Amino acid sequence: MADNREVLSDSSSIAPTNNPTSPDLLSTSNRDNPKVDLQVSEDLQRVTGVLHDMAAAGEFEELVPTKAMPLSPGIPPAAFGAGGPMLKQFDQKSAFTSRRGSTTTTPPVSVKGIGNKVAKPDYSESKIVVAMVGLPARGKSYLSNKLMIYLKWLEYDVKVFNVGQLRRTRAKQRAQKEGVKEDHNASWFSHANKQASESREQLAHDSLEMLIQWLKDGGNVGIHDATNSTRSRRASIQERVEKEDGMSLIFLESFTDDPALIAANVALKVSSGDPDYKDIPAEEAKRDFLRRISEYEKVYETITEPDLSYLKIVNVGSQVMMSKINGYLQSRIAFFLMNLHLKPRSIYMSRHGESQFNVEGKIGGDSLLSPRGMQYAEALPALITDNIGDAPLTVWTSTLRRTIQTASKLPYPKLTWKSLDELDAGVCDGMTYEEIQQAYPDDFANRDEDKFNYRYRGGESYRDVVVRLEPVIMELERQENILIIGHQAIIRCLYAYFHNLPQEDLPYIKIPLHTVIKLTPKAYGCDEERYALGIDAVDTHRPKPKGPSPTVQLTTARQYFADIDSSK
Amino acid sequence: MVAPLYTTDSGLLFHAGKILVLTIGLPARGKTHISRALERYLRWMGVKTLVVSLGDYRRRMLGGAQKVPPDYFSPGEKSPETIALRKKVSDGCEQVIWDYFDGGGQVVIYDANNGKKEVRDALAQKFSEKGIHVVLLESLCDNREIIENNIRSVKISSPDYRNWDPDQAVQDYYKRIKNHEQYYETIADTKWPYIKILNVGEKITLNDIHGYLQSRIVFFLMNIHNRFRTIYFARSGQSLIEHSYKADSDLSPAGWEYAETLKDYVLERRAKSLEARGLNPSERKLVIWTSTRRRAHHTAWPFVAATNGPQASQIPELQIDGIDADLTSSPISEEDPHPFPKPAVVLPSKVKVVEKPQMLEINPGIWDGLTPEQARKYYPEDWDRFTKDPYSYRAPRAESYHDLSVRLEPILIELEREQEDLLIIGHASVIRCLLAYLIGLPPAEVPAVEIARGDLLEVVPTSYGVHSHAFHFWDGPGRSRDGDPVDVRDANNFYENYAEDTKGKRKVSVEEYHSPDINNVLNLPSSEAKGAPVLV
Repeated sequence: MADNREVLSDSSSIAPTNNPTSPDLLSTSNRDNPKVDLQVSEDLQRVTGVLHDMAAAGEFEELVPTKAMPLSPGIPPAAFGAGGPMLKQFDQKSAFTSRRGSTTTTPPVSVKGIGNKVAKPDYSESKIVVAMVGLPARGKSYLSNKLMIYLKWLEYDVKVFNVGQLRRTRAKQRAQKEGVKEDHNASWFSHANKQASESREQLAHDSLEMLIQWLKDGGNVGIHDATNSTRSRRASIQERVEKEDGMSLIFLESFTDDPALIAANVALKVSSGDPDYKDIPAEEAKRDFLRRISEYEKVYETITEPDLSYLKIVNVGSQVMMSKINGYLQSRIAFFLMNLHLKPRSIYMSRHGESQFNVEGKIGGDSLLSPRGMQYAEALPALITDNIGDAPLTVWTSTLRRTIQTASKLPYPKLTWKSLDELDAGVCDGMTYEEIQQAYPDDFANRDEDKFNYRYRGGESYRDVVVRLEPVIMELERQENILIIGHQAIIRCLYAYFHNLPQEDLPYIKIPLHTVIKLTPKAYGCDEERYALGIDAVDTHRPKPKGPSPTVQLTTARQYFADIDSSK
Repeated sequence: MVAPLYTTDSGLLFHAGKILVLTIGLPARGKTHISRALERYLRWMGVKTLVVSLGDYRRRMLGGAQKVPPDYFSPGEKSPETIALRKKVSDGCEQVIWDYFDGGGQVVIYDANNGKKEVRDALAQKFSEKGIHVVLLESLCDNREIIENNIRSVKISSPDYRNWDPDQAVQDYYKRIKNHEQYYETIADTKWPYIKILNVGEKITLNDIHGYLQSRIVFFLMNIHNRFRTIYFARSGQSLIEHSYKADSDLSPAGWEYAETLKDYVLERRAKSLEARGLNPSERKLVIWTSTRRRAHHTAWPFVAATNGPQASQIPELQIDGIDADLTSSPISEEDPHPFPKPAVVLPSKVKVVEKPQMLEINPGIWDGLTPEQARKYYPEDWDRFTKDPYSYRAPRAESYHDLSVRLEPILIELEREQEDLLIIGHASVIRCLLAYLIGLPPAEVPAVEIARGDLLEVVPTSYGVHSHAFHFWDGPGRSRDGDPVDVRDANNFYENYAEDTKGKRKVSVEEYHSPDINNVLNLPSSEAKGAPVLV
């Protein structure tokens, strides 16, 4: 350290003489805020200063920056950034030094380059049966569907085993084979109908067996979507699951006594094409369905069993009871479900306005908006206010200047979240894709191979971002109208959650600049509207190298026959 | 730059407004345990929180139970003097609460029995009218064992029972509970938002709980448990470039040596501690958490590699996440080409290594790779603010300790939930945050907690805090002692180690490896030692 310090004191005389500020960069000027300009040039002075220091201290040695290792002006000197000479130099030297101390037979491969693919964490120990409990039209399928999407987004393997679906599938098969059409009207669900009771008992049993087999084959969370409305049924499920090593069981009861909620659920069921009521007039269907409910009500017993692990949700979250919830994932499931609500609301998402780095084709950084980006920031308030009217709205931004600047004109309360910051490109922060490709061609190709799993050295992968966004999702579920001014990778992750998109498609979702996406959660999906503001911007989307780009299918109705279980 | 995150003009966090938590419950139902745990958690998140204990206040005002009139605790008609005295105490407590809110406090936990519905409703109404969110927190217990334990371990050591015979004190305490039972009314209506907890989390009932902070409180309460376990903390080994966050460099030769020593020492230490408690170390699992940084999970490498023998060589680098090393079934073969002396210790039944991206070290942002001199020279203003308040100041594109705490919050909840013995191999900044939570330090002191490389911290949670011991097991490059860095590369890692380098207040004095008296308690403050909570 001592000699370094000497050099430093000498080098204080080497004031940065040439200011590499390009005219381009100064055009980021924010007319209303001259201080911002000042800050840019201050940053640049520091950059050159530090580089001078480093050069004077001999830190660059023989290595001279080449065209392949550009030193872009305006970027703080990430000493070990992939754009500078030090990282490669270091990797060459260190490949063997590090191994000397290791006595393991197989030390890990030494680090080099700009990133790596990272395998999915091991969730094989999580084996949970979630057994739903509740009368028909109490929102069981809504809860199980939400739970499935949430856990899948967190990369757990989840499958819903819907007993009603199994019943219909089997009836259909029998109808095809034997030509007998069974009538599953309300009397079929009557407890007095002995034959039908047995047959329903058998269906629930079979579906539980299928679920357990699926968990044994590597699944993580199996959701048994049935009414499970009696103590004896629950006891038999408990007994069955206890026989399996390492499996745990939670009952999830959805209890509703709010007539308006039930009526809405019944209406949804009748109008959304329930195949049980195909070709039956709506009024008649409704009558039959209400009769079916009353058959169940006759035998229904709410959970009070003290030895069961259960979660009871009353009127979608107004009251919650949980008992014997053991295990971290179980408590996360409980916490997630208690944060859900059904109040109508919308989630607006937009990327920040076009930034100076967007214009230059650079990734990461903390640059300010371009003139066109500023135009977007100016135009945004009118669009949002027209759309939302008098309803309350909270704006969330990241801590990066481009999102704060984009939100600056919005007349709503604002919150900054560190967790909404853009995916950290680590050593590649501040470079263009071309620069990265030139400096590290092989690594660059690797990322295209498996973008979700690729972690930038010293930075993040999409998976890391999903993990970091989990508390944001939790909070979004709790909140009402929210506008998120975010970044490309961040909005992709959030958008994939709301539309239940598979993770291999996630990094390729098109989120153009200067466009507001409005998502309105519905019972079984999200409605989407997009508002492009017509202000030109660069296109930062890099399409999937192979195969088509993902498309979103907007479904807000429950899909009775669509195989929701086996979607990827 | 905004610092700390989420601060509103009023200085309150998370836009959550002010919250009054009224505890409800018979004596010895763990109200104080829950109140203190909650206070520790909220303070750690940076929320200004205070527990106001009616019992403490009464003792401060009037002295121990012997000094109050005989009808003070008994049921039935009370003399006018006693009624006035009781009113004076409760009014005094109420005033403390108002004063704290007026002085910028955000959350008050009013630790009292609050057993009468009429009284607590009036109190709730009064605060609610002033715009304070009221949450009732009822602690119920139908497990006689938990109650008895609570009385024996906590209640009878209260000043109320100074010089009493323990059994008599217990009997007297039961009598006091009985008196309370006569008028006790459990929450039966849904007028106020409430949280009901049975047997410290076995069963939880919620009514009308809304708001960010309220929902965090619930999630926290869902995850606390009182099963015995041990948490170990150790720094990761020295890496080739200590002062670069981005370079994510490999361990240095000294770092590898450190990793081997750590493995041996942890296994030995763990076996000793468990045996001393009459537990069989080979029947318990060991879970290891590291960050996704190479230096951190490579420090856990010997645990997996050495215990798994030759098979480990087949494990490619990128599959290290969550590898299960079954230590008992695959012993090292005699022909091991790199024999390493194995200590004669009992191995855990299972070792699991989990890499957690939330556990990365504090991000130095734009200062990555700079020396302290360079940062000071080119960012004088930022440097100034950073040195004044390293907890809440965020350097450009960096994280403050507050940011780090928010990022670590899910880890902390998982830490509370974890039932197995845990070894956290982490970066200094991360260990600092987690440790500050466990021992209950105020946020401003977080950056100053000193965590030396080569020390193993053993932390055992107890009912009102933790017992912590530190053991010194290694010396070498990368260990800085008394502010005198052994290796210049560590000194440059100033963002991570700034406060430590300036001789932090919280210096851990360390027990030496092979010291004969391993049970020597260190002067790392545990909240248990700091202020034994006194109960109603």
